[in-house]
Amino acid sequence: MSELRQVVAVLYIGIGSLRERYTTAFVIVIGMACVVGVLTSMLSLTAGMAAAYLRPRDAARAIVWADHAVFDQSLSLKPEDVATVLDTPGIAKAPDGTLLADAEFTMDTLPVEGYAAGSLKVDGLGPAGVALRPEFKIVSGRTFRPGARELLVGVGAARKFRLAVGSQIRLRDGAWPVVGVFSCGSDIIESHLVGDAVTLMAARRASGFAHVLVQLASVDAYPAFQNWLIRNPALSVFVERTTDYDRRALGVHAAFFTGMAYVISAIMALGALFAVLKIMYGAVRARTREIGTLRAIGFGAAPVALSILLEAALLAAIGALIGAVLAWILFDGRDIWVWGAFKLHIPPSLWLLGLAWGVSTAVLGGLLPALRAGRLTPVEALRSE
Amino acid sequence: MKLFPLAWAALWRNPTDSLLLIAGLSVGFALFGAMIAVNAAYQRAIDDLRMDRLIVSCAFDCGAIPIGYREQLARIPHVTAVAGQMWIGEHEEDARQPITVMFVDEAMHSAWPEFPMSAADWRALAVSPSGIFLTRKAAVRRHFHIGDSVAMYSGRDGTADGTGIWNFTVLGFIPDLPGWESASEGPDWNRDTIVGNLRYMQNWGRPDESSFVTVMRVAVDHPESARAVCREIEARYTNANPALRCVPARDDAQELADANINMRQISLGIATAGLFMILFLCANGIAESVRERLREFGTLKALGFGDGRIATLVVLETAIPTLLAAVIGGAIALAINVVVARLVTLGAINMPDLPLSPSTFGLALAAALAVALLSALAPLYRLRRIDVASAVAGR
Repeated sequence: MSELRQVVAVLYIGIGSLRERYTTAFVIVIGMACVVGVLTSMLSLTAGMAAAYLRPRDAARAIVWADHAVFDQSLSLKPEDVATVLDTPGIAKAPDGTLLADAEFTMDTLPVEGYAAGSLKVDGLGPAGVALRPEFKIVSGRTFRPGARELLVGVGAARKFRLAVGSQIRLRDGAWPVVGVFSCGSDIIESHLVGDAVTLMAARRASGFAHVLVQLASVDAYPAFQNWLIRNPALSVFVERTTDYDRRALGVHAAFFTGMAYVISAIMALGALFAVLKIMYGAVRARTREIGTLRAIGFGAAPVALSILLEAALLAAIGALIGAVLAWILFDGRDIWVWGAFKLHIPPSLWLLGLAWGVSTAVLGGLLPALRAGRLTPVEALRSE
Repeated sequence: MKLFPLAWAALWRNPTDSLLLIAGLSVGFALFGAMIAVNAAYQRAIDDLRMDRLIVSCAFDCGAIPIGYREQLARIPHVTAVAGQMWIGEHEEDARQPITVMFVDEAMHSAWPEFPMSAADWRALAVSPSGIFLTRKAAVRRHFHIGDSVAMYSGRDGTADGTGIWNFTVLGFIPDLPGWESASEGPDWNRDTIVGNLRYMQNWGRPDESSFVTVMRVAVDHPESARAVCREIEARYTNANPALRCVPARDDAQELADANINMRQISLGIATAGLFMILFLCANGIAESVRERLREFGTLKALGFGDGRIATLVVLETAIPTLLAAVIGGAIALAINVVVARLVTLGAINMPDLPLSPSTFGLALAAALAVALLSALAPLYRLRRIDVASAVAGR
């Protein structure tokens, strides 16, 4: 009999005997379900954030910040700096000849009852703001008119703060009506309100911008664009591709939590590993005579050991799948607010990670019992009680 | 106690199994203890803040409140003290080392008496306007010593003389503030608490900023007055320039926690999953042990052991490893907390200190006992129903 067939045969016998050992098998399954359930549930948050921040974007898009002010709350980019940035060669133009670049900023509104200050933000967009975001579309109402005190609300913010067309947002110069609801392909901007930058700036009584968003003529235009700005003695700015900015922003919000998810899952996996060790040792002990008989009729040590490992891996895989399914049922698609609206997401990669996590824990835990089973000689095995 | 040697002997009947069981349970309890500590830490970060301390800021992120508002606010009924604070910063001499100084006025020790500076510290700050106090964690992170001179650069237009350089002397260190900062660090802001004298900022900073503060701290006479006083402040300043927003410090912390990742809920969920794992592992261990020793239990019954004594023996057999594991797990959780505290001090992670209090240990032990009792239920039911003759005969 080939070694592979021997492995299958021993595994088949082992699985058949699970009926007598169902409680111990159950412990591996439940343990792995807990480990993988916790891992996938926690990572569903960062996967949801990554889906919002790291959407496929045009690599020819760049963002220009005032030096030392590389996040949205700053207003350090003066209008004259913006004019210089817009003069930089390499910026793409719309069919009507206007530049595809926009000076923008983000400001806080009065906190919504029960939410922290800064939870609800307003973005000031310029004339090219919408053209720079191809996914931007009005889902109800209409868009704001330049120069008018009107706002649009993103679908995420609308859901979270129960805002709709007709809602009033209090800004410094009075109440601004919400005239439309927009979506933007799950971009983080869906968690904000947007309005005309110049009008908002007058209401804010401030003259600075946070950044200039730029569509370059081509991906290759970026190095020259960056050099031109950095070497311009009249400017003190920092330039990066929007894809780099997205990664940076995700890192700020999700790095700690992702690390925590892995550390906690590793601790849980260690506990599960001890459980697998104990249970598989018990399984080898319970099947000692059976293993002895198999070895006596010609089964090799390696197929016996491998079948023990496979049994542990199979039980762990079932547990991992149960954990991932439970996490998916409970969390996938659920709305969550972490300084912005996200949807918890369990993508196929997370299912695979959970499965690999559970199976590798079980294989590690089953290794020593498998070696013990492989080393059993037929004589000592058959003599055991 | 007479049953203890029997239970102990039963536990070590199979040393490998018992050690693996205790190891698995210890890891489970370590996780449970650490998660309970995380939960308590985030809750304490809110509970430590008081309702009768109000935070008053610009309603529309102007970032500058006229210092003259201080006297007006002090005249509002139930207000007992008002103080101003202002943050200025950019970087130390080394441009890669960001620094932010929180300048406070002399009324701060009345408006925020819980702020961990002693009367002597306040006096020292009053007589040395360019002095600063740092929290202990900040001092460790920055390698500062008492008496050190520290230069801060805040941009050329940041000071009256146009150099943008501020010179400070480290006067001392203060205990770390409760809670944590959930805001992101950036070049303009970092979370180290460094306290300076507002008078220095007024004399050395930009003249147009000298009569402004970022935030007013207001103390009220009773926690029950807090929300009413806040409403009164917002109503009085609704049409002022700038309009004001007021929130009690505890409400502010609660809202901040709710806007962020809900660590209290998550830690409870993980602790529950950990406890669930412990329960299954423990129940399986005792069920296996009883199944393998049915003859022994039959003999004990034949010798006159009643159901009560048998039950006590089984519970004891379950309780010994779980209690041992709870103690070992508690010690591991303590070690985890020490590592986390060190990482927080070094600035590698940002979360509140994890206090592993006696109550956390007590909770772990109580959980261990509850798990032991629950795990023993099924084997006990089986033992009550065994037929002594069949058990002794090994059938």
